Amino acid sequence: MVHKKLSLLLCSMLIVGGLAGCGKNNNERADAPSDSGSASTSSTNSNAASDSSSNDSSSSSNEDSPASQEKVTLKFFTGKVETVDLINSFIQQFEAENPNIHVEQEYQKDASSVIKVKFASGDVPDITTVVAQDYIDQGKYLDLSNESFWSRILPAIKDLCTDIKTGKQFKVATNVTMAGIFYNKKIFSELGLKEASTWTEFQGNLQTIHDKKPDVVPMFLAGKDSWTLGHLIEFMAHGVVKQQLGVTEARKAFINNDSGKLKFDAPGSGIDLLAGHLLDLKKAGLINKDALTATYDNQKEAFTSGKSALFTQGMWVLGDLLKLNPDMAGDIGFSPFPALADNLKPVTLSAEDSVYAITSESKHPEEAKKFLDFLFKPENLKAYSEFLKQPSAFTDVNADWGPLKDQASAALAAGVNIAFTDSPAGFSGDDAGRMMQELLAGKYKTSQDFAKAYTEAWNKGWGTTK
Amino acid sequence: MQTFRKLSANLHLYMAVPAILLFGVFFIYPLTRGIGISLTDSNGITAPHFIGIRNFIDFFHDDRARTDVRNTILFALGSAPLLNMFGLLYALLLDRKMAGKGIVRTIVYLPAVISPLIMGYIWYFILQPERGYISHVLQQVGLESWDVNWLGVSSSALVVLILVNVWQYVGMTMIIFLAGLQSIPAELYEAARIDGAGDRSSLWHITLPLLYPAIKINVVTNIIGSLSVFDIIVSLTDGGPGYATESLSIYILRMLYGNSTGYSTAVALIMFIIIIIPVFVFLKLTRKREYEL
Repeated sequence: MVHKKLSLLLCSMLIVGGLAGCGKNNNERADAPSDSGSASTSSTNSNAASDSSSNDSSSSSNEDSPASQEKVTLKFFTGKVETVDLINSFIQQFEAENPNIHVEQEYQKDASSVIKVKFASGDVPDITTVVAQDYIDQGKYLDLSNESFWSRILPAIKDLCTDIKTGKQFKVATNVTMAGIFYNKKIFSELGLKEASTWTEFQGNLQTIHDKKPDVVPMFLAGKDSWTLGHLIEFMAHGVVKQQLGVTEARKAFINNDSGKLKFDAPGSGIDLLAGHLLDLKKAGLINKDALTATYDNQKEAFTSGKSALFTQGMWVLGDLLKLNPDMAGDIGFSPFPALADNLKPVTLSAEDSVYAITSESKHPEEAKKFLDFLFKPENLKAYSEFLKQPSAFTDVNADWGPLKDQASAALAAGVNIAFTDSPAGFSGDDAGRMMQELLAGKYKTSQDFAKAYTEAWNKGWGTTK
Repeated sequence: MQTFRKLSANLHLYMAVPAILLFGVFFIYPLTRGIGISLTDSNGITAPHFIGIRNFIDFFHDDRARTDVRNTILFALGSAPLLNMFGLLYALLLDRKMAGKGIVRTIVYLPAVISPLIMGYIWYFILQPERGYISHVLQQVGLESWDVNWLGVSSSALVVLILVNVWQYVGMTMIIFLAGLQSIPAELYEAARIDGAGDRSSLWHITLPLLYPAIKINVVTNIIGSLSVFDIIVSLTDGGPGYATESLSIYILRMLYGNSTGYSTAVALIMFIIIIIPVFVFLKLTRKREYEL
């Protein structure tokens, strides 16, 4: 009898488990777009998602109003380790001014993955620095289009914060980041080199460094941290599409995976050109021998110790460079990425940084907006920009953000300004970086082979419904 | 009174209920729920749709998955035999009367108590070309040309991973063998010696047959451990260069975070089968051998 009961118990568990696995999660939003598992969601769905998010916000706001006198706790979820302490100090000031609101900051290293778990488990933060197109499509964020702060933000950054599919703003950025070539001005001046605007000039510079300074690595790649190689594709190879189509049209082409415009596998495409150039650099010994196993930390150390002459990175590296070698401040040069072919122009990443979004499931959207308004006070934004060493996206903030201020302006003027790539969740920048590792490890015989493999992986990433 | 007697008679079964409940909650339920999710297009966020066995079919058409299966099997084929071979060798050597064997046992076992993630980083700092400790020593003695990027070449990276894994867990295998060796009665060896058996003969006819339970535990745990390897690869090569050393466990995680929850669950179930088959075959073979003994 007991045996039978135990068997029955185990069988019940099996059946319940199986059914639960196949079944629909009751916690899911009833109006969630049915096919939004795919990153290439249709605009109709995303409209529905955003409309529902607006409804959600109003209803949760209404529900919340009677309780607004009670002390509320806001959950602030961030993936930016460098700003944790600074944000905590802002939180202290905010709580002193608003004793009814308590803000809890949570930092996670792998925030873009953890946020997914949070959305799935219902432990949703009120404010987050993690924003992805998939979640916008699924109506996870509150529509911020009507907030008053937009009149203070640079129009270009507002455009980058605008969802291509709905034309609404679900995120707001406080800063502008840039990426390009960081070079050692002392070495350049010693060897009589100038900032390169074409690939021929760029490779010529590296060759001169290699010949005249054999102990210095001309260009340092940090291949173990695959995202750094992924950035080469995102900025240099995708930069071809971005400069040819312009910021908005390029974003549309990426999000809609418009292969007719992207043409990644066409001979002479950005991917093809970049792959070919990198193979040439490797063959000529112009990159570090441990390009596949060196880390981002190695890259910074090599540059600040004078062991490497240049590397490609974003402005976010500047703070670390100055920490490693404060005396180097005057010797750090910054220039656009060189044009990959003669018919192209150099490019400089100029994009949104430090983004914030309020989740549509937040029970305290008004308090969350109040906290954002506090962060967006000019004096706080000034302190933030100077701490992060990045220019502010707010026009009423005049921050002395770092020694590269003038050079960054010059790089923005010299290169076509491009934005980040909207990549599919199924093919991230890390994945692109791993393909670059394969390229440098000799997996692809020609640059065209790489371009074809890349196109296949990219298309598969967008088509991911698995 | 009758109820009490009935309860007493079945007490052992009732005592198993907590264990069965825990087993059900932490194994049966996740497993069956996993089977359910694997039959959907779940992305972990929105409502999933039933798609039958499409995820399983996709797996067999996925080049990267095939590479990862190959890597995982090669890693296990390299690790499991070496772990058992060296574990047994250490156990046999350190079971003898010798000075300082306690210290040697501790040294051999020590790496096993360190997190594999940290172990991977330690070996990364040792092996890194141009900046690693080995590289530094080679530079000091003028042998820069010997400084090879072991982790940057697909084939050698996998070999390094196997060797580091063996180095870390050989102590654990050794301890289980040592326990087995110490449970063999000394009289058997004395009797064999009187009958004229030498060391080699005693090893083949007494030690190894009576070590069967220990061998069984070691082989099974090493197969499971090697086929589900994760941490050491993440810290040492991160699955690179490219996907050359990516294991199935890492692939599952990356697919999960790449919005492919249904697919990654299907791969996890396939991995479960990949692990269970060699374990099952080995247990079947050794059971027959045990009966013979």
